[in-house]
Amino acid sequence: MVAAMASARGEHDATGGADFGFRRVGEDEKPGLVRDLFDRVAGRYDLMNDLMSGGVHRLWKREMVAWLAPRPGMAVLDVAGGTGDIARRVWEAMEGEGRVIVCDASEQMVDAGRERTWNAGLIGGIEWLVGDAEALPLPPRSVDAYTIAFGIRNVTRIERALEEAARVLRPGGRFLCLEFSSRPPAGVDRLYNAYSFAVIPTLGAAVTGQRDAYAYLVESIRRFPPPERLAAMMTDAGFGGVRVRSLSAGIATLHSGWRV
Amino acid sequence: MGEERATVDPKLLEILVCPLTKEPLRYDAERQELISDKAKLAFPIRDGIPIMLPDEARPLEEGEAR
Repeated sequence: MVAAMASARGEHDATGGADFGFRRVGEDEKPGLVRDLFDRVAGRYDLMNDLMSGGVHRLWKREMVAWLAPRPGMAVLDVAGGTGDIARRVWEAMEGEGRVIVCDASEQMVDAGRERTWNAGLIGGIEWLVGDAEALPLPPRSVDAYTIAFGIRNVTRIERALEEAARVLRPGGRFLCLEFSSRPPAGVDRLYNAYSFAVIPTLGAAVTGQRDAYAYLVESIRRFPPPERLAAMMTDAGFGGVRVRSLSAGIATLHSGWRV
Repeated sequence: MGEERATVDPKLLEILVCPLTKEPLRYDAERQELISDKAKLAFPIRDGIPIMLPDEARPLEEGEAR
C-alpha cells in the first residue's frame, strides 16, 4: 500500500485516481477541484503568500527570474501564473520588449492578476488566458521560456504537463519550475510540520475564510514527487542539462532544464 | 451593456490554437468566441480573457462547423 501511494504521487497511475492533498479523488475530478479552490482564494492569494512565508516567496521568485535571466525580445510563457507575480518580474527584466503570456486554470486568479498588473500601470505587454497546463492552447515551438512557480503540484498528470512544456518550447528553450519540496527540511521537521498542518490552515481560514483550501495546499506539498524524481521526469519529457537548486535550506526547490 | 469590458489582445489571438487539436481557431468577434471546427467547440472570451478549457466551451451545433 505504501509503495502504491508513493508511486501515485502526482504521477499518472493505472487506478485512474489522483491526489488532492491527502484525499484520493478521481483523475477527472481533480482539475475542477483545483480550479474551484483557486477561484475561492484568488482575491487574497498574494497576501496569504506573504503572511505564510514571511515574504520569503518573493526572494524565491526573484531567484527564479534571475536564473532565467530574461532578455529583451523573448517570448515567455508563465503557467499557473495567476496573479502575475512572475510575469511582472520577467517583463521588467525584459525591459518591456518581448512578450509574456500568463496561463492559469483559474479564471478568478487571471482576473486578479490582470487587475493588479493594470493597477501597477502596466497595460499591454503581458497577455492573459485561462488554460490547462496539460493541454496548452499554443503551437509547437512558440516560446523561448516556460516558467511555473508553485503550480506544478496542482497539475493532475505532471508528465503530461512536462510534455506540453517541451512541445511549446523552441529547441534550446528554457524550462524553470519553482515548487515547495515534499520533504521537510532536515532537523526542523517537527517545527515545519506543526507550522504546515496547524498554523497555515488556521491562518488561511482567518485571512481568506477558506481553511480547506489551505489544508489542501500544505497536504499537496507532501504528495508532490521529491526533487530527484521530478528531475527524472523532466529528462523523460525531453529536457537536457537538468539542474536542481535548493532554496532556504530545502524548503523550496528550483528545477531548470533546456528543451533539447 | 453600460458595463466596461476589456477587449482581447489581438497579438494573443494570433498565437492561440485549439488546446485539443492544436489547430488554428476562428475568431467570432460578435459572439466573443474562438471556434475550433475540428473539436466542434467554441471557447468563450470573457472580459477580454480567452477561456481555453474544453469544460467551459460551447459544443458547436449541427452545421455550425466549417
